[in-house]
Amino acid sequence: MNPPGAAGAQPESSATAGSTGEAKPAPEVLVTASANIPRTDGAPPAAGQPIPHARRPCLSWLRALPLLARPITRTMPWVTLITGCLAGTAFLAVMARVAGTSHSPLDLGTARLAFLPAIAALAFVLRAPFRPVTQVTPVPAWLAPAGHIALAAPVLAVACWAQLRIVAHTIPLRTLGHPPAIYPVIAQLTGWCAVTVAAAACADRSRYADLGGAIATPASFAAIALAWYAPVTSRFLIEPPATAHAVTIAWYSIATAGLALSCAAMRDRWHRYTRSRHRLSSPQRNPP
Amino acid sequence: MTATGGGPAVRGTGAAAPAGTGDRSRVTARHRAGRLRTVLGLARVEASLLVRSLLVLAGLLAGGAVVWVIFGSVEPLWWNAAWRIGFGQLVLGMAVLVAAQLAAGRARRDSMADLYASFPATACTRTVAHLAGLVGAAPASLVLIGATAVVVQVRGPIGAPSITVLAGGLLLVIAAGAAGIAIGTRFPHPLAGVLGALVLFLSSATSHLGSGGGIWLLPWEWTQDQLGSLPGPLAGYPPAGAHVLELAGIAVLAGIVALTVTAGRARARGGLATAGILALVVICLAGAMQLRPIPTAELNHLVREAADPASVQRCTTASHVRYCLYPGFGRDLPSVEAPVSGVLAHLPARPDQPLTLRQVLSLYLPDSTLTHGHPERQVSQWQAQMQRAPGNAATASAIYLPVGWWPAAGGRLADAHFDVALAAAEWAARIPHQATGNPNGPVFLPCVPLDQAREAIAIWLAILATRPPAGELQDGLGGLGTGRGFQGVEVRNTMVPTWAYPGWGASYITSAGAPQTTAAGYLLASAMLRLPEQKAARVLKSAWPTWLNWHTTDAQLAAALGIRMPSVPAPPAPFRTPRPGVTFVQPGSGPQNPLCTA
Repeated sequence: MNPPGAAGAQPESSATAGSTGEAKPAPEVLVTASANIPRTDGAPPAAGQPIPHARRPCLSWLRALPLLARPITRTMPWVTLITGCLAGTAFLAVMARVAGTSHSPLDLGTARLAFLPAIAALAFVLRAPFRPVTQVTPVPAWLAPAGHIALAAPVLAVACWAQLRIVAHTIPLRTLGHPPAIYPVIAQLTGWCAVTVAAAACADRSRYADLGGAIATPASFAAIALAWYAPVTSRFLIEPPATAHAVTIAWYSIATAGLALSCAAMRDRWHRYTRSRHRLSSPQRNPP
Repeated sequence: MTATGGGPAVRGTGAAAPAGTGDRSRVTARHRAGRLRTVLGLARVEASLLVRSLLVLAGLLAGGAVVWVIFGSVEPLWWNAAWRIGFGQLVLGMAVLVAAQLAAGRARRDSMADLYASFPATACTRTVAHLAGLVGAAPASLVLIGATAVVVQVRGPIGAPSITVLAGGLLLVIAAGAAGIAIGTRFPHPLAGVLGALVLFLSSATSHLGSGGGIWLLPWEWTQDQLGSLPGPLAGYPPAGAHVLELAGIAVLAGIVALTVTAGRARARGGLATAGILALVVICLAGAMQLRPIPTAELNHLVREAADPASVQRCTTASHVRYCLYPGFGRDLPSVEAPVSGVLAHLPARPDQPLTLRQVLSLYLPDSTLTHGHPERQVSQWQAQMQRAPGNAATASAIYLPVGWWPAAGGRLADAHFDVALAAAEWAARIPHQATGNPNGPVFLPCVPLDQAREAIAIWLAILATRPPAGELQDGLGGLGTGRGFQGVEVRNTMVPTWAYPGWGASYITSAGAPQTTAAGYLLASAMLRLPEQKAARVLKSAWPTWLNWHTTDAQLAAALGIRMPSVPAPPAPFRTPRPGVTFVQPGSGPQNPLCTA
């Protein structure tokens, strides 16, 4: 996040790009372990060389997992997540209050809308602020964001349960016919969460990592709106015309694909920059 | 994310140089001038960042897509379209809110507070610049207005745009941006902006939060108005001027809140509090103006237009058919006339009873958004008048076209033409509009011309008049032709396969009492189409009164034409075990449609 007038002052860029005097622009810089990079045994890397990664014995990080639980829990953005969940629940509570006075019960569509703030908050959970540092530690860099997602899951589940309870509370007991099935809604919300996590993970690996959540939220909302309104997708993802079973299967498939994409993005060790090294090393362009 | 990322430094925006030897007033003047220069410079940068913001661009595209979807295929009515453009502005406003919040929170995010504190411009100066920089959101809003107005003009609108309503959309975007700045100065986390945008969206997208005149207090009412069903603009619906005032008040109030958060001096805060109170007064005043009931004279006129359309409509007679349209809708006449003329051209003999095509209003009057603030007795009177509206009575000698549903062009217009042609052909074939129940009640079952030659003749006439694609006609059988499904009604304890004609259920005409078309009737009509037209016309002309008799069967017509009666696939047998999503109704256990008779 650069203030106006301080363009180019990206700490990550200067740490990894390294080179200062090259005239040719480099569209992207690869920072990864390579057999060609000589080990220097504690010596700092020379200017212009990528940072070598620590050697990780296979699955050694599993032994470190209990030790990591505490820092992962402490670095988890609890306030963000809980604010999102509470905002949606508070909105639904207000709607339930209004629905009670106007005798018009809430539907599952309102529950879906109320879950959007939690989805938005989830997009900010994945951000690992010190990725260049964690990348050189003996444990995989993806462990912290994965741990945060694992911690967020029960909070989201509780929020979903509370919101569905609020909606159910507004429906009178003596209604005609069967109430709508809940399991397709749960599948749909799970799919939304997975899409958001995937979008956040991808944004976190881009040059917009600082605002990954702010990018991932509109992106996932756009994906949700597209799934809802595009005729091609709505035939499979919306009930009706699709059946409850088909909707459930389709959304869990999307959730699986989203989680796979998230895993791939979180394990990605590349750091991409589209700005040229020349621009990064030319502070005289920006007067103080 | 250009609105939040780094940008070029402002030239000449440093703090005013201290006066060396000048007097106090000159120093103050120079200080003020320098500060103004700083504000203008920063505002120019912020506006430039907002103009180039990817978020705002995405919001513009999303807003355009929303307006496109909402417009649909119906012909645009400007008094409705102008308000619908505001929905797109609402989506754009959400994006501007997030972008403005990110920009305003920039100084306090990522531990940048110390760095920004070292700059010559104070937090309050930066906030003023952010607010002035909202000018950068105006181009996107104006582009949205311009682009959608071009689309509306190209599709041939009815009426004229309301500049006040369109300006309200622009103000909505500015107000959303000001709210984003107010949020960003206090809550720098990006989630705060996202939540603010969601609040903006949810307040307008749900129908629970507003009712009656209260719907106009929402940022931009989305779901409850009936603007698309009006035959012309209705004064005070929406109360555009008061709504613009409310949005302006909200924008000013949000700006004052943002300045109050960043203002350091108590004196400045006092002035801001006074201005905030004034803005609140303006908002309350605007709210009160929006809650005023629609003038009784206006509603009287509207009810008269609905209940007694003949008193206001302009009627034209062509080929002994009367076409009555509301003032301003005259450009629809050729489009409505064409399918009727096509049917008349192939008709062996015309009925004695004349045909009238008339526009009607599909207004729902016990609607409190229209009648709020009026006494119950008055509303009951209006409701009673509306019950006598011509569209509520089923009659075969009139075709009613509800306002706001006629398509502008394309495939939907072709479907609407087929609807009108079929209704005219049913009038010509004397198929009555009989039904069980009330069109507005829980049970309404139209009659079925089961095994009646006149149904096939009517379908044949409609196809000849409009020539729809054969595939679309065949699609009306559903899965019957391929054995993948079955749609039907029950008549006299027998399941009758039905045929959904092009435009069926699309409300291009009011279908109160319109007969239910059968698959057998369509299949016989399509067999007739394979014959030379002169031969079929000669057979029909030779015994026209016989063919119009409801006792004359499809088989008799097929025999007279010298063709084999097409076989109608039988409904599939019920499964031995129930299957999910499939419901079988045993004959005799469900509701029965009546048979169309004389």
